[in-house]
Amino acid sequence: MANKKIAVAIRDVIAEEMRRDDAVFVMGEDIGEQGGVFGCTRDLQKEFGKLRVRDTPIAEAGYVGLGIGAALTGMRPIIDFMYLDFTFVAGDQLLNQVAKLRYMYGGRASLPMVIRGQQGIGRGNAGTHSQSVETIFTHIPGFKVVMPSNAYDAAGLLRTAIRDNNPVMFIEHKALYITSDEVPDDPDFMIPFGQAAIKRQGKDATIVATSLMVSRALEAAEILAADGIEAEVIDPRTLLPLDIGTIVESVKKTGRALVVHEAHRNAGIGAEIGSEISEEAFKYLDAPVARLGAKACTLPFALVLEDAVVPGVDDIVESVKDLCYRKN
Amino acid sequence: MATKVIMPKQGLQMTEGNIIEWKKAEGEVVEEGEPLFEMETDKLTIDIDSPVSGTLLKIVRAAGEVVPITELIAVIGEPGEDISALLADAESVAAPAAPGAAPESTAPVMPPSVDTRGASDAASASADQPAAVNGLPDNGRVFATPRARMRAEEHEVELSTLAGSGPQGLIIERDVLEAIKNAPRASSLARKVAEQMGVTLDGISGTGPQGRILRDDVLSVVGHSSGVGGATGSASVGEAGLQSARKLPISGMRRVIARRMRESLDTAAQAVHRIEVDMSESGRMRAKLKDLGIKVSYNDVVMKAVASALREHPRMNATMTEDEIIEFSEINIGMAVAVEEGLLVPVLKAVDRMGLKEIHAESQRLGELARDGGLSSADMQGGTFSVSNLGMYEIDSFTAVINSPESGILAVGAVKDRVVPENGEAVIRPMAHLSLTYDHRIIDGAPAASFLRTVKTLLENPYLLI
Repeated sequence: MANKKIAVAIRDVIAEEMRRDDAVFVMGEDIGEQGGVFGCTRDLQKEFGKLRVRDTPIAEAGYVGLGIGAALTGMRPIIDFMYLDFTFVAGDQLLNQVAKLRYMYGGRASLPMVIRGQQGIGRGNAGTHSQSVETIFTHIPGFKVVMPSNAYDAAGLLRTAIRDNNPVMFIEHKALYITSDEVPDDPDFMIPFGQAAIKRQGKDATIVATSLMVSRALEAAEILAADGIEAEVIDPRTLLPLDIGTIVESVKKTGRALVVHEAHRNAGIGAEIGSEISEEAFKYLDAPVARLGAKACTLPFALVLEDAVVPGVDDIVESVKDLCYRKN
Repeated sequence: MATKVIMPKQGLQMTEGNIIEWKKAEGEVVEEGEPLFEMETDKLTIDIDSPVSGTLLKIVRAAGEVVPITELIAVIGEPGEDISALLADAESVAAPAAPGAAPESTAPVMPPSVDTRGASDAASASADQPAAVNGLPDNGRVFATPRARMRAEEHEVELSTLAGSGPQGLIIERDVLEAIKNAPRASSLARKVAEQMGVTLDGISGTGPQGRILRDDVLSVVGHSSGVGGATGSASVGEAGLQSARKLPISGMRRVIARRMRESLDTAAQAVHRIEVDMSESGRMRAKLKDLGIKVSYNDVVMKAVASALREHPRMNATMTEDEIIEFSEINIGMAVAVEEGLLVPVLKAVDRMGLKEIHAESQRLGELARDGGLSSADMQGGTFSVSNLGMYEIDSFTAVINSPESGILAVGAVKDRVVPENGEAVIRPMAHLSLTYDHRIIDGAPAASFLRTVKTLLENPYLLI
């Protein structure tokens, strides 16, 4: 075990996988000499050279296309997005090509590629650099969608992603890069997709939280515990495949569920998970499933306004109390 | 200010009540505590007293109407008072009486007192029922979360008896769990029996482990140990999983009949004798009386013959207690009368001292009262023997169940022309079958046979009746 920040854990897994398999290479903006804006590829070019750690022009559609070609011909590209907001620039390549090619080729082609990058609030990067894109890639069939909330999960899930023979959307969070965790040294440490993590046990309400919201949910659970409400906190870790079984089992126990994510609440993954809960655990529900997500507005530039738009710890506490029919 | 009178909830299972009669007319003055209307639930018939003094301004639901609990049925107030708003409120059933803003006295008042009529029918009149009205915001519909429903089902808790603590009275899991925690511990059989008997478990002390209420505890409170057979019997039908096409609420009368029939078969040792009677002479006598303008039915003649035979065989006119057999000096004969959805047995008193004309008149009177629902309890009491006649349905012969605690019942079949031998020849005679069900605990086969033969002799020689 070694204590690592998420950015370092990610860099180390990439390096280990590149050492293990010559087919693995990285491509993206400012990743070589600069080592990535957040340091996720720091020093990789020194070890692996400019061919395997390729700086690209600001041309997302172009280098995703390059990645597709490389993957189809046997390479295992890791496509680095400086901001996941930019995936929209490469929308056709990602949503019409990456997601669909294996199907379109009748299963005779495979695209072992990882698209990774960071998203979300925390730096006041404003509307086109602070979004959460997971809903879109979960909606269009063809991607596996991974959202680690800590270094341990990030390391285990990224290795699984790199070794997967199909496209994986690996979604990191800019505000989490500096958080650290114990990460196994095992060069084969992998966490399978579709296994949620129960971050805290509780009997009164279930909070399903993703990415940045996991830590906020845990903080809220502490506050709720002081008030006599034991909340169970579940991090799905992968949205597709989704471990709905673990969530449903928890809700059967608690009778109440809140889904909280940073992406917009409207048509967010919370609606999907909430609906699954209603279908699978309807008679166990003692309250309607609640959802928290960003308000339906463009992410603002000012940090205080970012906080006003995205669910905070207090919002989670209040929502769970509502679920428990408890009012201050 | 005007006061709303609503259909009161009498007993945990009650969902609606049938208004039998308004004791006051619109415009009449009524005192608080004075009987205001009579109603029938599935368990009992009771007089409901007026909750306030005032003038009965409006009868909203007429006699004969079946009304869900908590719905407005009348308004009491001052003469000339404007009650249109109250009535309009009642029209829109979805909107319950507006709380808060409305003056206090317009809040619905549940008439408090309960007069139980028919003491044999143990009715639940528990004064401290949970405030269920809050859980029934409109139309008696219960709002509860799926989880609350699941828990209620698991623990056999009736949701409509709970007060919801969620938003707008929504019943949530916590409410069910509290109710389970506070509810008397009882076996499921005890619960079923209590439900059948219409009693609540509150206040019954249990003799099981940790004070758990057992079946016998319920029965000892009700005082009907023989009711068990009926209770458990019907429960097993419900559990058999049969798809019943139509579910009928058990009326008060049906409940009484069910219990009494069961009681009779559980206690009396019922045996049956049958005999064939030549009704030629009785028929001739009827015809002659008819010529004289006196109408008498075969049944009247049978009643008279039975009364005379009972005088001769007092053991057939008896009952059995714990330690003795009581032979009655009065001869009061119950007459089974089929009524809609049930059966009543009005009693002809001192039949042995009545002439045929009187018997006919009294039978007619009681039969009509029975069919019109006008029998008084005095008309139904004091029977010492019963006669059941299904001749009008062309039944040849049948076995009747003793009307406990009497010692016998005579079942009379139709009078039909039959070929019978007489002096070596086949002749046609009007014949009737009589079946005597008697309680072998009280009277043995030979004396019972002797009684039945006496009845036969009297019917074949009706002049002996004079």
